[in-house]
Amino acid sequence: MPIVEKSLVRVDRTEKLELEGIDVSGDWNTFLRSRVWTDLDVKVADWVRAQPGGDTIDRCWQCGTCTAGCCMHTDFGLTEFNPRYFIYLAQIGYEEELRRYAHTIWRCVSCNKCVERCPKGVKVEEVVHTIGSYLERTGAAPESPADRFDRAYTENLLNRGILDEAALFRTYERLEGRKTPTRELLRMGLALFTSGRLRTGPFAHRTRGWGKMREVLRARLEEETRQRRVPVPKPPVGAGGGR
Amino acid sequence: MNPILVLGGGPAGLSATAELASLGAPTLLVERESYLGGNPKRWHYSLLAPDLRPAEEVMDPLLERVTGRPEVELRLGTTLTKAERTATGFSVALRSADTTVTREVSAVVLATGFDHFDSRRKFEYGYGRYPDVLDFKELEGMIHDDKVLRPSDGRPPKRIAWILCVGSRDVQVGNPWCCRMGCAVSIKQAVEIRQKHPEIDAYVYYMDIRTYGLWEDLYWKSMQEYGVKFIRGRIGQVTVAEGGSRLIATGEDTILSRPTEVPFDMIVLASGMEPGTGTKQAAELFGVPVGPEGFLTPRLSDLNPVDSGIPGVFFAGAATGPKAIPDAVTEGMGAALRAFQYARR
Ligand code: SF4
Ligand code: SF4
Ligand code: SF4
Repeated sequence: MPIVEKSLVRVDRTEKLELEGIDVSGDWNTFLRSRVWTDLDVKVADWVRAQPGGDTIDRCWQCGTCTAGCCMHTDFGLTEFNPRYFIYLAQIGYEEELRRYAHTIWRCVSCNKCVERCPKGVKVEEVVHTIGSYLERTGAAPESPADRFDRAYTENLLNRGILDEAALFRTYERLEGRKTPTRELLRMGLALFTSGRLRTGPFAHRTRGWGKMREVLRARLEEETRQRRVPVPKPPVGAGGGR
Repeated sequence: MNPILVLGGGPAGLSATAELASLGAPTLLVERESYLGGNPKRWHYSLLAPDLRPAEEVMDPLLERVTGRPEVELRLGTTLTKAERTATGFSVALRSADTTVTREVSAVVLATGFDHFDSRRKFEYGYGRYPDVLDFKELEGMIHDDKVLRPSDGRPPKRIAWILCVGSRDVQVGNPWCCRMGCAVSIKQAVEIRQKHPEIDAYVYYMDIRTYGLWEDLYWKSMQEYGVKFIRGRIGQVTVAEGGSRLIATGEDTILSRPTEVPFDMIVLASGMEPGTGTKQAAELFGVPVGPEGFLTPRLSDLNPVDSGIPGVFFAGAATGPKAIPDAVTEGMGAALRAFQYARR
């Protein structure tokens, strides 16, 4: 039978070995890593719980209702995307296993079916995103486009007091390191404008007298962030990145 | 009227005695131990599930209702050695220390209760061998005195595991039944410990969580408010870490489908309920039917759970199967009424 779980294979390799004048370098042996799970750790769950979207993580009792209805898992057939399992791994702090999903966990489309159905009131969608953020902050996963967009959106609102779609687009482009040709921009802008989707127009918008409000909001946000701050734990020694 | 004999001074027996006394019936309360209160008293239960009320708050009013009442004759440190049917009821022999007396009684309430499973019989968990493997009834006392420390070195534990269904739901020890209390009591202990010592991590290894009915609330709270963690899988064995004093729980995490060997500072066994020794003796003396599990069997467990089917013999409490204190108290009341009716017939 072929070995499916490649991450468990450890090859004992000697790069240069001579025995009595004969070169015997090469693969000497192949081992399977032990699959025994030897620790329980609360630090991942502690971090997730302390975030704005992660506070319902402790409620999950692993019934699987969320995964059963998840469009990613069921409808798109991405069986690796399993919100129930992500939550469990975070709960018991099995970081090494969690990291294997660093590139999958972002595939949630935020349909919120799971949130509607969870019998324990877990905000599954938020919790899964928070676990994703954890992976990102510990360096297991790159920051996702969705995250960058969130950042651009929050900054935009905070700066102007009103959503300025053109500015949002520019900031997001910058964060993505992308530059859409002007002609393409104009075409897209016109299409959005005539279909009524671009409400603020191409000129900069700002709520009058927003400056004071912004200061208050920023102070409050900073305060909240400070209160919620739980140091991001160091990744475990020897934990590999995603597959 | 000859007195009505109540055998056993636990919650069920106390409840039956209190009700009989309030009906004005002369009552003879016989208890094997030198104190009243049954297992809750014996093991210094801490808070009682599910309402988390201190055991004293529940037991003391019961005790007050039977002590110092003219209707109640109390015999502590006494066992029943003989019972014979007479025209008016039974003639029973009561032995205490070295004297035996014979008494005429009009009816009998058997409230002989349960014994905790002897966890040493699950030798793979190392109870009795490793000092930091505790039976949960011992932990009750520790929590009660707020002295949750490792017996081996007196240090506070950092991480505790509970193993459920020890001596229950297990054909290897001959006890296929569910103890009904183990889940709730273990979870309650974890909550109590997390309340006082949030720095201690609490893990419960389970096959099923049976916090039936409204007790579910305790289970939910333990997760949501106290961060108690639940791992599905029955621990196969407990060993001691090499060169250390930590315990290693070996099991399968059935959600990961993976073997686990996790170190703990303390492991607590939720030992099951077995028919008490007194229950077995009473069954023989009165010739009442006993089920395959060894508990007394009511004639109609649905319509009349306190009637034995033998005229004048009634049941109350855990003698007929694992039972929570509120249920035992209720049955005590029912048995008192039936015994009173019989004695006055
Ligand atoms: S539905 Fe809710 S409780 Fe069930 S596995 Fe999903 S998150 Fe957990
Ligand atoms: S919100 Fe995300 S995790 Fe929830 S069902 Fe939809 S795709 Fe799945
Ligand atoms: S009550 Fe819980 S611990 Fe006791 S036997 Fe039943 S499932 Fe096991």
